[in-house]
Parts: sequence; structure tokens; C-alpha cells
Amino acid sequence: MSTSVAIKPPGEPAAAKERTRLTGFMPLIALAALIAALTIADPDFLTQRSLTAAARTAAPLIVLAAGATLVVLCGGIDLSIAALASLSTVFLALWIPNLGGLATPAVILVAATIGVVQGAAHVLLRIPSFIVTLGGMSILSAVALVVSGAGTVRVVDDSSVQWLDLYVAGYVPMSVVVAVIVVALIAVVLKVTPLQSWISATGYSESAARLAGTPVDLVKIGAFAVSGACAGLAAVMLVSRQFSGGPTMADNLLLPAVAAIVVGGTAITGGHGSVWRSLAGALVVTLLRVGLPIVGVPSAYEQILYGAIIVVAVALTLDKSKVSIIK
Amino acid sequence: MSALEVRGLVKHYPGVKALDGVDLVVRPNEVLGLAGENGAGKSTLLKALVGLVTPDKGQILVRGESVKLRNVVDAANHGIGMVFQEQSLVPNLTAAENIVLGSEGAGVRRGIYRWDVMRRLAQEQLDKIGSHIDPLARTDSLTFAERQMVEIAKVLRIEQRSQHPPVIILDEPTSVLESKEIETLFAQIRRLREFASVVFVSHRLDEVLDVCDRVTVLRGGQSVGEVATAGAVPRELHRMMIGSTGSDDHYHENAATPVASDQPRLSVRGLSGKSFRDVDLDVAAGEILAIVGVHGSGREDVCRALFGAEPTTAGEIRMDGTKIDLPSTRAACAAGIGYVPAERKTEGMVGSMSVAENMTLAKQKARLTGPFVAPKKQAGLVDSWIERLSIRTPRRDTAIGRLSGGNQQKVVLARWLVGGDVRLLLLDHPTRGLDIGARSEVYRLMRELASSGVATVLLADSLEEAIGMADRILVMADGRVATEVPCPNGDKPSPLDLVKEMV
Repeated sequence: MSTSVAIKPPGEPAAAKERTRLTGFMPLIALAALIAALTIADPDFLTQRSLTAAARTAAPLIVLAAGATLVVLCGGIDLSIAALASLSTVFLALWIPNLGGLATPAVILVAATIGVVQGAAHVLLRIPSFIVTLGGMSILSAVALVVSGAGTVRVVDDSSVQWLDLYVAGYVPMSVVVAVIVVALIAVVLKVTPLQSWISATGYSESAARLAGTPVDLVKIGAFAVSGACAGLAAVMLVSRQFSGGPTMADNLLLPAVAAIVVGGTAITGGHGSVWRSLAGALVVTLLRVGLPIVGVPSAYEQILYGAIIVVAVALTLDKSKVSIIK
Repeated sequence: MSALEVRGLVKHYPGVKALDGVDLVVRPNEVLGLAGENGAGKSTLLKALVGLVTPDKGQILVRGESVKLRNVVDAANHGIGMVFQEQSLVPNLTAAENIVLGSEGAGVRRGIYRWDVMRRLAQEQLDKIGSHIDPLARTDSLTFAERQMVEIAKVLRIEQRSQHPPVIILDEPTSVLESKEIETLFAQIRRLREFASVVFVSHRLDEVLDVCDRVTVLRGGQSVGEVATAGAVPRELHRMMIGSTGSDDHYHENAATPVASDQPRLSVRGLSGKSFRDVDLDVAAGEILAIVGVHGSGREDVCRALFGAEPTTAGEIRMDGTKIDLPSTRAACAAGIGYVPAERKTEGMVGSMSVAENMTLAKQKARLTGPFVAPKKQAGLVDSWIERLSIRTPRRDTAIGRLSGGNQQKVVLARWLVGGDVRLLLLDHPTRGLDIGARSEVYRLMRELASSGVATVLLADSLEEAIGMADRILVMADGRVATEVPCPNGDKPSPLDLVKEMV
């Protein structure tokens, strides 16, 4: 550090710095608090069996949320992820008999391409991402219905996706390991390349980013591509568990994925957040879904608790000092 | 007794002392001018006078009585009204509706507009200023000048609220007007003096001297002097505004180096776009070219077009003799062009990101090893520029939004320098909103860059700044280059010379 930087401006006391550091851990703290609460409600909850089950359920959600987080960080939103994942399960189920193991990369590639198309439509035609992906959601759902003949497509020989259903070290579901690897990969790539700066700048202030020569359009299209690819991977995980593909199989994951992103503390307005936060958010959301019935919360109260906890969690995890406007 | 008096007004903003004990006296039936550079505290003072800003300390006295102004209505009740810089009329309402808006009185009965009464009330106001505008004309069908008359008529409604002669504040009323309209406005101001006091604020010192009886000069949030306008000259006023200390070389003219102009660094021929046509310009390496022009002259768009941020329809741009295309800002960056936008907070910087990230945003290569960010390289680079430009920041990873305006602007400038490859800098109002000290540092930096061979296009904040900094001045009017004025050290043109060409 140079000598000229010693002057401390007002308004940044040590306490504020401490608080900033703490908010970074808030998603983890929220997760720990939730596990503790569930354990207190039912001491049997903290068993290997229920944790393993919860983790397996969480894997597709983690991947979906992580991919869509990039779009949110750029200041947009991808509402098509669940519909795209559903369509991808259909494609996968249809292609496995012919392509075998190659069906998995093929589906991920196709899903990424669909993401690119949506991103390009958003950027080039200057349509809000909300609208583009809302339309995309509808189109992809319809395509899935047509392609699947409006029914479940069974996978008779699922050996090519069976590996995702294995357990690492006997307890940890392979799908969870893959999900964490995907999150780590995205996080590391962002961290060690200019992408982190570009994505944040685009999300915080697109015009400032553009005037600094940031390739804003490419960054956004790239984010949609990753979001699409993640939807494809989530589809592979779903097929490996259910031995089939279905035109609405992943549809009910859209709102949990969005909830996971915001519960993690990523700002829905863009700029501030990370895929790690979405990982924690996805675990919180899944634990609520799976855990509340396990510990014996009556189903009528389950939705109330779910809603209330999500709202409180966002209040805890969102770092308001980084986000000037709350929309 | 004074109509309005301000004693020792103090207002702090985080990191800035906007007002530092301002004193001001407005006498009955006089036109008081308020002069001061950007950041001198003019707008904060005006806002305090109409209740938009609550001062931390000090007193506001209306006819000798201390008052607390909590909002615009409070101020209006005390007879103080302001015509805002950005026009505050609702465009899709009639002039009459706008005039009585918020003070409808008898114009509304049982929640229903009474058009005949409204029209009469509005006409009364318009008559006061002798205007012939049809009260039932839609506001967006009126010219700028007419709208301003409507605003003045509207402000005069405050007479109904207090039984005393009003104080009317005009904040930069001439900035959007043409010279003939300005004459009309001035006639109007002289008319207002018959029954009111007027506070007049303008960037153009010649106007201030023309229309005011007396001028109070603000600097650094304090009142530094008072000038009776009879016989005063702009030069004198300007000296007071920028202060005697260092005023002799405020623009660091001694540091200006002669321009070697054998081949232009930037050469533009026939550039046309939405708001400009057939623009030709040359800038040599090490030269500072200022472009001046009134609002709507198209100079901002030319500047943005040179950075690939505004589409062009025709023309040729050459850098060091090579023809270049600028389809995007990215292409401009790659060509060694840097741009400092006028709106620092929304376009120049990303407030939530750190000093280091903002500084390396445009020239990522400077902090990379291969395709990867090299943290040590970045730290060394950023720290060295923090030191070279004496940027005051606690740490390199402090959010830039926490810095003062001047330091933020230095980071934004540094953004183009860290790559070491910038050949042309486009500076759009680089000193907007900065205090005197910070401005002076930006000027010094501009001189340094020029002497290192960087070509600069400057859209100055004021004519004085353009004249002080430029080697050559291009005057633009109505989207075209009107004329070119050489501006060498020791033979600078006067602001009046330029104003003639601008309108």
C-alpha cells in the first residue's frame, strides 16, 4: 500500500466492515439455523438417511439455481429454466436408446443453445429478459408436450445415466457431488477471469459497463447459455432418478429455484451475489420442503412457514449496503 | 429590512461540506445574482431556501423573522418560490392546469375542475407578467421560452399565500433559451422587480452582470464577496469565484506544452448522426481540443459517437492515419480511445464495485497473466496509480461509491491510463460537480497527459474552463461545426467571442 492511501474517509468504521464480512456468511448461518431448528423439532431429523434424501432432492435444484444466478447477476431473469429442464428430460429419454452415453452431452449442448437463442433475442431485439423467457417457458413447454406425445417417456435401459445415482463413499449422492462441482467450477472461472468484473458491472450498471468497453451483450448471452446448460444437466439428474422423462417433470422447480437465488442473498436487481450463495439457498429451500413434513408440521401450516421463512431469510442474507435500490 | 436573509448556513453531506456558513441578503425589489463555480454550494443553498434541504446549522430569516422551511409549501407560505432548472411542468396538462396545480383554490369545487374559474385564475397570473399565452394550450405545444413564462406565472401564485412581496428564485433559467428569448426573459425579470425580489443564478457571468443589481459570490460553500454590477466586468467576478489563491494558473497554463501538429492523431471527416451533421475535426497528439456549444448543439453526441456509443450515418474516422470503424464501445477501447462520461455516478463508475475493479474494468489485460487475473499484478498496478494520482481511498478494495467526487473521477480517468495504450481521451464534463481543489487536480492531470502525447477532446463545464484548458476551440451550433477558434496561451479568446458563434 502506498503512503497516500492512509486517509480514512468518514462512514467506514470497523463495525461496518465487520458487518460486511458477516453478511457474506449469512446464507450459511441461515442454513445452520434451519438445520438446528429442524433437529430441535425432531431429534431424529439429523440422521444420515434423511440428510442423504434431502441432498439428493436438492441436487437438480442447486444446478438450476446456480445457472440462473448468472443471469440474475447480469440484472436479468431466466424464467424458462424449469420448462427447459422438462423439455430436456424428454429429449434425453428419447435419445438414450440411440445415443447411449452421448445423449447426456447432447442434451446439455442443445439446452445451452436454447439459452443462447433466448439471450440473443433479449440482447439483439432489446426485449426484457423477463418477457423473452416467459415466452420461452411457454414455447418450450408446448414443444415438450408435442415431442413427448403429451406423456411420460420411459427409459428402459438407463445404464448410461445410472452413474448419477451412485453414492460416493457410500453416503454422498453422486448427483450432489456433481452439483457442487458445477457450482465450484462456475465460481472459480468467474473469480480467476475478468468475467466476475464484467458480470457485476453489467448487473450493477449496464450503461457504465458499456461505456467502460465491457462486452455487455456477449456477457449476457453467455449467462443465458450457462443457465440453459445447467437446466440440461438438471434434467439428466432428474431422469437418472425417475427412469423417465416427462414434459412437465421439472416445471415445479421454477419458483424454488428463484427462491433459492434470493434466499442466498443474490440481489434480484443484479450485480451483487454469487453461485455459492445460491447453493446455500437451494439447500435451505430443499430442507424446508423436505424437512417440514418430516418433523411433523401439519401440511396446512407448511406453506405458511415456508413462505414466512423465505421472506425472513432474504431479510437476513441480502447485504443492503451493496444494493441501493430494493425493487 | 431585507426580504430574505441567510445567516451562517451549514449543510454536510457524507464526505462533503456543501455549505460552510453561507451569508446572503436579498433586499426588497432587487435582482440579486448568485455566482459560483460548480460545487460552490449554489444549488444546495437554493434548495435550502425552498425547503428541499434542511440545513444542519444557521438561520433563514424572512422579513427579519427566523423561519424553518420544511418543504416547498412552507417556503411558498413565506412567499419564496423557485423556477427549477429542470422544468417542472406536467407536459400533457394545459398551461392553466399547470399554473394552478397544487394551489387550485376556487378552481376546484367538490373535487371537480371548474374550467372557467381555472382559466380566469391562470389568466390573472399570466397578466401579471404581461404574457399572451393561451391558458388552455397544452404545455407540450409551447416553446421552451413560453413554458418558462408559465413557470414564472405559476410561481407567482405564492402571492396568494403570503401577504407580502414574493421572493422568486430563478435557477439557470437561460440555459435552454436562445438569445432573443433571453432578452424577453430579462425584460420579464426587470418587470418582476417592480413587485418582487428576484434571485438569479446563471453560469454565464455576462448575463449575471447584465440583469442583476448586485451579485453575491459563493466559493467552497461560503459567501466570499459581493459585487455591485454597475461597471463590473466578468473577469473580476470570475477571479472571485475561483479564489485568489492559485487563480492565476487555475488551469495550469504554465504546464501547457506546445503542440507538434504535423499529423493529426484523430481526424474526422463528414461525421453525421442523429443530432449532428458533416462534422470535421482534427486533434493532434498532445493537443487539447475543446468543443463548445449550447444545449442541443450536438457536441455530446459527437463525443459519444467517437467512442462508438452513438450510431453514425456517414463519415470517416482516422486514428494516426488509419481508418477505423467504431461499431461498439469495445472497438473504441481497442483503438486506444478512452471516454469519461458526464454522468459520473450512473455512467462513469460502478458505485458498488471496488476502486480496483473500477480502475481495471476497461483494460482487463493490464491485470491478467494469460487469461487469468493475477491478484499481485492487479494490486501493484492499482496501488501505483492510486499513488500517482494521489487518490484518497482507505484501501484499493473499498467501494468507489464511498470516495469523494474528485477521487471517484480520478479513478475513472485512471481506468484509461492503466493500459498504457490510450491515444485519445474524450472528456465529457470531467469536472462536473467537483470542488475547486479537485478540479485543479483534474486540470493538472489533463496537462500531464497532453504533454505525454495523449490527444484530448474536452466538453468543458463552462466557457471559462474551455478557454483555460484548450489549445483550440471548436464551436458547434445546431449539429454543425460553426467555427474554429485558436486558443493559444497568452492569446485566449474571450467568452463573448465564443458566445456570438454559439447561438
